[in-house]
Amino acid sequence: MRTRTTILTRLQSNNRALAQPTTWQSRQGFNDLAEQFVTALTAVHGEPHLAPNLEGATAQLGAILAELGAQRVVANNEAPIADLNLPTRWPHLQWHIVGETAGDLREFCTYADVGLSSGIAAIAETGSVVIHSGSAQSRVATLFPPVHIVLLPTSRLTTDLFTFTATHKNTHLANGTLPAAMTFISGPSKTADIEQTMAIGVHGPKRFIVILYRE
Amino acid sequence: MTTTTAQFRERATIALEDVRLQQALDGATGRFATARQAALAAIPWADELRDHFKAIRAATLANLAEHLQTFERQATAVGTHVHWAQDGAEACAIVTEIAQRHGVTLATKSKSMATEEIHLNAALAKAGVRPVETDLGEWIIQLAEEPPSHIIAPAIHKTKEQVAELFERESGRPQSAADIPALTAEARRMLREQFLAAGMGISGGNLAVAETGSVVLVTNEGNGRMVTTAPRVHVAIIGIEKIAPTWDDAAVWLSLLARSATGQPMSIYTTVITGPKRTAALDGLPDPDGPEEVHVVLLDNGRSPLVGSKYEEVLQCIRCGACLNVCPVYREAGGHAYGSPYSGPIGAVISPLLFGLDKYPALPHASSLCGACQDVCPARIDLPRMLLELRADLVTQGIAHGSEAVLEGSVSLAMRSERVWALLMGMGRVGQRPLLKNGKLALPERFNPGGERPLPALAKKSFHDLWRDGEV
Repeated sequence: MRTRTTILTRLQSNNRALAQPTTWQSRQGFNDLAEQFVTALTAVHGEPHLAPNLEGATAQLGAILAELGAQRVVANNEAPIADLNLPTRWPHLQWHIVGETAGDLREFCTYADVGLSSGIAAIAETGSVVIHSGSAQSRVATLFPPVHIVLLPTSRLTTDLFTFTATHKNTHLANGTLPAAMTFISGPSKTADIEQTMAIGVHGPKRFIVILYRE
Repeated sequence: MTTTTAQFRERATIALEDVRLQQALDGATGRFATARQAALAAIPWADELRDHFKAIRAATLANLAEHLQTFERQATAVGTHVHWAQDGAEACAIVTEIAQRHGVTLATKSKSMATEEIHLNAALAKAGVRPVETDLGEWIIQLAEEPPSHIIAPAIHKTKEQVAELFERESGRPQSAADIPALTAEARRMLREQFLAAGMGISGGNLAVAETGSVVLVTNEGNGRMVTTAPRVHVAIIGIEKIAPTWDDAAVWLSLLARSATGQPMSIYTTVITGPKRTAALDGLPDPDGPEEVHVVLLDNGRSPLVGSKYEEVLQCIRCGACLNVCPVYREAGGHAYGSPYSGPIGAVISPLLFGLDKYPALPHASSLCGACQDVCPARIDLPRMLLELRADLVTQGIAHGSEAVLEGSVSLAMRSERVWALLMGMGRVGQRPLLKNGKLALPERFNPGGERPLPALAKKSFHDLWRDGEV
């Protein structure tokens, strides 16, 4: 407590009346947010797909899972994934639906081939998907498996960080609604720490696949 | 650690003679600088955004106490334990106490300059906790038992052969130096085991958002997510100046950070931590994973005395490393010459301010004052001005070398009178004759302020006289 007082007293004695500048307004304008998102995510080695509707997106997901040869899939139990009845649709796969399937989630994620989630928003300028933690939204499900697949409606696209904060200030970014973890994901895990040579997939997922669909 | 002129020269000479290191420095800093330039050029309003950011940083520091208290209040409300540390020793004691209370023997760390600054790893080891760095570059230098040589690329001085050798020693398996993806995969495998076994995750914080009590961490590898997610306890150590009052301010900060650092529009992972895992999330049900305890250590360590001083501006720094990549001194001398976790232009200013000017008397001089650092700074920090202020402090505080103080004092005295100055210069032009060699002034090395380099001789006719006679 003494340290706290010392630091705060010292700072207070040098307090000055200097107002924060008014909020920066986004100057970015994209003709088509989905198109921009696809361009930006592709540039950072992410794998975007654009489907005409949820049905198309689901078919795309099935094709990707087959191509990957995935066997164990962990899925965050959130819209739109929750309504797709994935274990019934693809019963040959081993599923862990977060908050629903019994058993050790962490253990399952350690050996899972794919983690599946949605997101609260996506940022077109940078090709980023924003995900929240929650009772049905596991943090390790999108982190441990070598592949992370996101299913997201284009309606959640926003222009840039400034439109994101403006839009979500009172919803996803407010006290009480901001969860324990919010993550902006902008591509697969990468490093350039050995001789400045880029290598994909050092700690997080090696593939980051986003299936956007129009509603 | 200290950095006197002799030490700086000695370490810089080692770096200058290392051909491989020179290539690595040129390559890495050049690539970063080019990428930064392209990333900022892609947003036509980048200069205005930087002005805006500077205004945010200045206003935040002017009311820092209030923002820190807001952060503390909001963080506490979501269950984060907030600690205050006056110096490195206090911060280390707080972290080791938490580790010991939880019986932690292994802690995974994501890259953090604040923990480098307070030598946390040594303190943890002493307390029986094994710290494992998980940023690939940081892990490489931990295995090599070396300090970082760049703020954001700590291992730029290591070759892939050296990395393969270190990994071989660590894993007990042969490694191929020719295959960087394979080395990366090996690191993934070895460190994944550590992530899962660790009882505690330690991180820094790129910024903290006061209005929601959040800590924001930026990584490309995903190790920041790992250390804040997998272990039962997460501790973040963050300098008191790294506060964004609101999310509007944080958005500006994040828009500039990655672009300035690596030229990426956004780092791969920007993780926002707001308290431990919820026992009742929005729907009343508990979170399935995440740490049960989250601690934030607000680190002062010499920062608060800078607020309100002529050096306050240095606290606007967000540690992007852009100034290192354009600095002609850093690009040749490398990071180790500075003898501090903070190298380059920002290190030359902040190391003496945080750790003592008497310990780092050489650093204010480790600059040509070309101003490239200020040009690229996302907060437009006037580093050249502060380097000059520090040089003045060296003299007024009597830290400057005795002979240097006498010399500068005499010159200052002589320059006050045009006549005295002209007389002395005239005497000098005659007096230097026996010492001239190839038109340069070859002083014996111990009297030569230029070190090994000969000083230029006094011109036959001074610029002043040339001007007076209409010759220029």
